[in-house]
Amino acid sequence: MTLWSWLKLFVALWLLRKLAKITGWLLVAAIAVAAWPVTLTAVFAYLAAWLGGWPPVRLYRTAAWTLLVTGAWLAVQEARLPGWAAARMPGRTWADGWRHLAAGPVADAFAGVAPVAVPAGLALGGLLWAWRIYAITTGLAGITASAPIMFDARQWRRQVRTAQDLIRAPGAVPLLGRGGVIPVGGTIRAIGHRWHRVFSIPDTACARHMVVVGSTGSGKTNLMIRLWAGWFTATLQRARTGQGYRPLLIVLDCKGGRDARSKAERTRRLLYGAGARRVAIWPDENRLNLWELPPQDLAVLLYQMIDTGTGNAAYYADILQAAVSLAVTAPCGPPPNTAAFLDRLNARWLQNAWGSGQYPGQFEHVQAAARHLPDIQLRYATLLGRLGPGLDGPGRLEEADAWYCILEGTREPSVAEAQAMALTELAAHAATALEGEQRAMLLAADDYSAVSARVPLSNLYERGRSLGIGVQVSAQSWQGLGATEDERYRIAATADGGVFVLHTPYPEPLVALAGMRRVLETAHQVTGNAWGDEGTTREQRAWNADPELVRRLDVGQACYIHRGAATFVQVARPRPSPLTLLPAPGLDVPDWLPELGREPAPVPGTGPATWPEPPGLDDVFGPGVS
Amino acid sequence: MNQNPFAALGLPARPDLTDEQVRAAWRAIAAATHPDRADGGDLAAYTAASAAYAELRTPWARSEAYADLAERAARGGDEPDTSPLPVIGGPGPVPVPPWQPLLAGWQLPARIWRGRPLRLAVRGVIAAALSLLVLHMIPGSAAAPADVFGLALWFVLSGRRDLAPPPER
Repeated sequence: MTLWSWLKLFVALWLLRKLAKITGWLLVAAIAVAAWPVTLTAVFAYLAAWLGGWPPVRLYRTAAWTLLVTGAWLAVQEARLPGWAAARMPGRTWADGWRHLAAGPVADAFAGVAPVAVPAGLALGGLLWAWRIYAITTGLAGITASAPIMFDARQWRRQVRTAQDLIRAPGAVPLLGRGGVIPVGGTIRAIGHRWHRVFSIPDTACARHMVVVGSTGSGKTNLMIRLWAGWFTATLQRARTGQGYRPLLIVLDCKGGRDARSKAERTRRLLYGAGARRVAIWPDENRLNLWELPPQDLAVLLYQMIDTGTGNAAYYADILQAAVSLAVTAPCGPPPNTAAFLDRLNARWLQNAWGSGQYPGQFEHVQAAARHLPDIQLRYATLLGRLGPGLDGPGRLEEADAWYCILEGTREPSVAEAQAMALTELAAHAATALEGEQRAMLLAADDYSAVSARVPLSNLYERGRSLGIGVQVSAQSWQGLGATEDERYRIAATADGGVFVLHTPYPEPLVALAGMRRVLETAHQVTGNAWGDEGTTREQRAWNADPELVRRLDVGQACYIHRGAATFVQVARPRPSPLTLLPAPGLDVPDWLPELGREPAPVPGTGPATWPEPPGLDDVFGPGVS
Repeated sequence: MNQNPFAALGLPARPDLTDEQVRAAWRAIAAATHPDRADGGDLAAYTAASAAYAELRTPWARSEAYADLAERAARGGDEPDTSPLPVIGGPGPVPVPPWQPLLAGWQLPARIWRGRPLRLAVRGVIAAALSLLVLHMIPGSAAAPADVFGLALWFVLSGRRDLAPPPER
C-alpha cells in the first residue's frame, strides 16, 4: 500500500465516521422538528429543572399528573367519535395535529396537541435532565476538569433557593401533613430517600428515639419546636378519631436561662394554636408533685438525687440509702411533701414509726443509723431547698397537654441534674400508671448534655423505649451526646426515629450513619485546562451525607439521616394556622381535671387532706435531737 | 406475711401480673385507706395492702406468692383464680361529626384571605386568560376542554400552598 492510498483510506474512514455521526444528529434533529411540541415542552422542562435544581423525578411526576389532561382529551374525543379512535390510531391523530401547524399559527397547533405533547415532553425533559446529571457527575460530560464540582455547587445553590421559596408559602409546610406526617421543610436534596418537595417524617418517628445535633444558632430549636408541634397535632388528630391516646409532651430545657423562657412561651403559643388546652411551664408557673411516686421508687430517687461517693464513702452512702428508705416506706405511708420528709429524717420519729413491735428489723436499722440522721437531714434540707418548691406540688403531669420544664443546667448544674432525675422519674411513672387516662407521650430533652452527668443520655432513652414513650434528645455537638465515644455511638446508632444533623464542626461520626453509595468516577487525560479523548471509569464510594456539605450548612438547614440515606432540608419556621380554632369534635377535657396552678379540688375518697403530726411526737422535732 | 397478698390488693391470684398493675392496685387502696385521711382511714387495711405490695412488687416475688397460694390451695382444695385479667381501659373512639368536611369548604375564604391572596389572584388570572385564549384559538376542538381542564388542574395544585393551612393543621 502506498502512502497515498493509505491517506485516502484514512480520510475516507474519517469522513465515514463523521458522516454517520452527522446523519445521526440530523435524524435526531428531524425527529425533534417533527415532534416540535414535544421538543418544545422537553426543552422548557429541562431548563426549568436546571434553573430550579429540581431532580428528574419532579418532572416525571408532573408528567404523570398531566396524563389527567390526556385522559380528559380522550374522553372528549370518545364523546364525539365513539370507538376510541384517538387511542387506537395515535399516528393519525398526530398527523392531524401536524396539519394544524400548516394551517394556522404555532400557538394554535400547540394548543391542539398539548394534551399529548405536554406529558410526553415533560417525561422526555426528565430523561434528558437525568442523563445530564449522570454524565456530569460521572465525569462523562463537561468541558473543564472542574465541571462536576461546579455543577454540584451550582445545583446546591439552586436547590436551596427553591426550598427557601417553597417554605415562604403559607400553606406549603403546615404543622401536619396529609396522612399524619410531620412536614419539616422544603427538600433541598435527597440521597437514597424518596424525593418530595416538602420533606416530612411520619409521626411514629417521633414516638421512637430521635437525635438532633447542631451548634448554637444553627436552627436546632426551630426544628425541635416544629417536630413537637407536628407530633402533638398528629397525635391529637388521631385521638380525636379514636385511633390513639391524647398526647402528653414533656420538654426538658436543660440549659435554662432567659432564652429558655422565650422558647417556652413560643412553644406554648404554637401548641395552643395546634389544639392544646393546657401547656404548663415548670417551675415558673406550675408545679409537680414528686411525693406522689410509689414509696419504693421515691426512696430510690431521693437516694440517687444526692451525690454519693465511692470507696470509703460507699459506707455512708449505704447508711443514707437505708435512712431514706426507712423514712419513705414508714408504715404510716410516704411523706406528702418536702417538710414532712425532712421531719422524718429524725431518730425519734423513725423509732416511733417503726417501734410498734411489728418491724424489729427496721427498728434496729433506725437505731444503727440514728447518729447519722442529722447529717442526712442537713444534706437533704440543702438539696431540696435548692430544688425549690417546683417538685412539692400540687400538680401532676397528666393534668396538662404539655409541660415545658426549664432546668438551670448552665447556672446550677447539680440542681438541674437532680431535677432532671425527678422529672424523668415522674414521666416514667405517668407512662406506666394504670389509673387515669392513658396518654401517648413524647419526652424531649433539649441540650440534655448539660445535665447528663448523673443520668446518662443512653439510660434516658433506653428507659423511655422500654416504657413505650418517644424520646427526643438534642446536643450541640457529637461530643455533647455522651461522656464516652462508646456511649455516643450507642445513642446515635440506635436512633431508630432518625438523626437530624444541623451545622456542626464535626459531623463525621453522624454522617457515617447514612453510609455510602456507589458512584462512577471517570479519570480523563487532561490537555491544558480541558479534557482529552482518553480516560477510564471506575466504581468508587461516596458519602450519602457529605460531611463537607454538613459543615457548610446554613442556618435552618438540616440533614436527616435515616436507614442509610440522607435528605437535606430547609426547615420551615413553625407557625400555627392563622385561622380561628374550631372546637375539637367530641374531645372534652374531663371535669375532674383541675385548673393548673391552682390547688386541686378535693376529690372525696382520694388521698390525705393534711399530714397530721404523729401522736406523742410533739417534742421530738427539735433541732439536734438524735 | 399475708395469707393471700393478692386478695389484700384486690387482684386476681395470677403470676403474670405486671408491676404496674400491682402498683396501681396498691395506690388505689392506699388512697382510700390512708390513716391520715380526714375520716381516719383504715389502718388495718392500709397496713395489709402495704405489706402485700411489698410482697408482690417484683415478678419473682409474685411467682413465689402464687406458688405458695397454689400449694395451700392444693392442700385445702381452694384453687387460685385463673380468670382473664381485666383490660386496661383507655378513652373510647370519638366519632367525627359528619359535617366536619363541610367546614373545610366554609373556611376557604378565610384561608385565601389569611394566605397569599394576591399571588393566588395572579395565578387565577393567568389560568383564566390562558383558558380563554385556548377557547378562542381552537374552538370546537377536542383539545380545548382538555387544555382548560389542565389549566384548572395547574391552578388548583399550585395554588394550594398560597392558602393558609386549615385550623387543625
